Amino acid sequence: MSLVVDSITKRFGDVVALDGVSFSVEPGRIFGLLGANGAGKTTSMRIVLDILRADAGRVTWRGAENISLPRRTWGYLPEERGLYPRMLVGEQLRFFAALYGVPDATGRAEIDDWLEQFRIPDYRERKVEELSKGNQQKIQFIAAILHDPDVLIMDEPFSGLDPVNVRLLKEAFLAMRDRGKTLIFSTHQMETVEELCESIAIIDRGRVVVSGAVRDVKRAMGRQVVRLATDGDGHGVEWLTQIPGVELTTQREDYVELHVPADRDPGTILRAALERGHRVTRFEIAEPSLEEIFVEHVGRRAIDESEEHLATSNRKGTA
Amino acid sequence: MSGRLFPNALHVARREYLVRVRGRAFVITTILLALAIAAVTLVPTILAAVGVADPAQIAVDVQADDLTSDPVLTIQAALAIGINPSADPAAEPGEDESIEQRPRVRHAEDPEVAAQRVRDGELDALVTITRDAEGELAFEYLGSASPTNQTRLLITQAATALAIGDRLEREGIGPQESAEIFEPPAFTATPVDAGDVRDAEDFGGAFILAYAVVILTFMAILTYGNWVAQSVAEEKSGRVMELLITAATPRQLLTGKVLGTGAAGLTQYVAIVAAAIIGFMATGPISNALGVSEQSPITLPDLDATMLLALGAFFLLGFILYSTLYAAAGSMVSRIEDVQQAVGPLIFLSMAGYFASFTGLNDPDAGWVGVLSLVPFFSPYLMPARMLLTSVGIGEVLLALALLAATLLAAIWLASRIYSAGVLLYGQRVGIRTIWRASRVSR
Repeated sequence: MSLVVDSITKRFGDVVALDGVSFSVEPGRIFGLLGANGAGKTTSMRIVLDILRADAGRVTWRGAENISLPRRTWGYLPEERGLYPRMLVGEQLRFFAALYGVPDATGRAEIDDWLEQFRIPDYRERKVEELSKGNQQKIQFIAAILHDPDVLIMDEPFSGLDPVNVRLLKEAFLAMRDRGKTLIFSTHQMETVEELCESIAIIDRGRVVVSGAVRDVKRAMGRQVVRLATDGDGHGVEWLTQIPGVELTTQREDYVELHVPADRDPGTILRAALERGHRVTRFEIAEPSLEEIFVEHVGRRAIDESEEHLATSNRKGTA
Repeated sequence: MSGRLFPNALHVARREYLVRVRGRAFVITTILLALAIAAVTLVPTILAAVGVADPAQIAVDVQADDLTSDPVLTIQAALAIGINPSADPAAEPGEDESIEQRPRVRHAEDPEVAAQRVRDGELDALVTITRDAEGELAFEYLGSASPTNQTRLLITQAATALAIGDRLEREGIGPQESAEIFEPPAFTATPVDAGDVRDAEDFGGAFILAYAVVILTFMAILTYGNWVAQSVAEEKSGRVMELLITAATPRQLLTGKVLGTGAAGLTQYVAIVAAAIIGFMATGPISNALGVSEQSPITLPDLDATMLLALGAFFLLGFILYSTLYAAAGSMVSRIEDVQQAVGPLIFLSMAGYFASFTGLNDPDAGWVGVLSLVPFFSPYLMPARMLLTSVGIGEVLLALALLAATLLAAIWLASRIYSAGVLLYGQRVGIRTIWRASRVSR
């Protein structure tokens, strides 16, 4: 039984923030929620957490509706970081643990463990305002998970962290997943998604444009990416475009990138290059990157939207 | 998910209380206020000890030598009555001095010397009594006192009494007969309500107590209500709100905030009131030590347990009602600077009750006071005042309390709703209509 978001719709006045958003997350997996700024990621998260109520649709976790679940089911790291600036780190974390119903002794032990794991054990008696942004973010992450939630929802957890802390946080993610926890996070960093997420959903303007396992999403693009570099100077790349189905997408100093339909054999490119007498220094067949997929979906969506908008206003005109 | 109110509301209240009372601003303010109150209660004694509040020293030069009674005694008596207010319950409460000291009125042995002593500031005044061409008594007052000076006013009264006595005497009516003429008639006020036990002796004290209750209620609502609004706005602008609202329900957060801040406010009040009581109790020993005779200026009316309970209930319910709405107001703004604007209507409402009760204190039996004392937002001011100054039926008190409690429940419902939507809406100015629309689909 998984987390199921089933066609949720949410309006703020005249603005449609979510328009029938659906996706599902398998328990014990890491899920990426992708989308441009203002696409509806935060609103979706808030509805799952039952901070906001959807106008229509429902959210279930292991078959139970989210509005009937206790708050300790969820852990939440909001996008806007905020803690009580003048409270001591330890006191603050104990306060949040208490709100989630964690016994004080358990809470204290957990706090010490996590501070240790994030390599900031001596910050417990410091005021939050004395900490750097990155360290405050780590404290906030601890506040979100002290009660050992089943589902951890995080809005842009990596933004503003240095590479060392990003690594620490990723390790914490994987450790939690290995303990059977379900993690959902949003980010703009596609490499992180490729690295951590088993499945994703891309939201654009309140709609899910693509969702599912990363592998399937990539396959559904229906093409392969070929990166080719040849030794030798002066000869152009026009010959590549004459190969049927091949599309030249990027021409860089060190290599060219080509798109080949999924039903074509990329080997024809290599053979053609060899036949022309080029010395091939790089030949790589890859799946399209998430970044490409993201830009393509969100970009195309934007065009569809404006056409649709035109159509709607025309219909209104005739009615 | 509604969620039980406790224990989360208590966790929130505990945090709020500790952060508040540990704050440097709180500690300093409380100490300063307590010292100020203690000082105020001790000032009259200290002033008396250092001689600032010395009794009036008056010299009288009687040039009209045919007077049968001694004007010195008349003036002395007039000053003594004026200065000792316990003999005169109608006296203004603020004007009495806590130390009974008899004014010294003497015959001026040498008018020239006495006049010089007045100029030198050794005497307060020289009163010269002469008889003019028409045979009327004429008084001349030499002194630097202003026209509203109490000593001068009392001497004027004494002069009037002396002149009338003198005229009667000249008409052949002796002192014995004139005393009979000016004997006050028997005057008995019978209250409509047999249980009405307002006696003159206690009324002055009850009046002061009513003032104090109204002022304390008003200050609590204004100061501590503002704390609540500030604190909610701080959580919202500091963005810790999103963590809170995920961990606890709006109702838990709202209740905890009001309870925690209220408890901190009460802590400050207890410190101040304790300082006042200690100050009053210390007056006696300090007076003795300094060699000043002391006398308590007011006697507080005896308050029975029911009265104290009712006063406490009105104070607490009124305070919680206002601070709940202050919390809702705080949740509507995105920046701390905008808090004052958002709480404006609430300040207006509490000011209206405050001023209404001040007018009402002077005429506590008026019909409009009775009506307003039942209206929820005003009853915390007006009902305690009425209860102290008049006799109010228990039914009326219970009705006012019931209405207040019902309004409080409605306010908590409304405030939770505004709060749950308000804390997530950021913007320049979040209107009440936006919040209302958003709240319909929030928890």
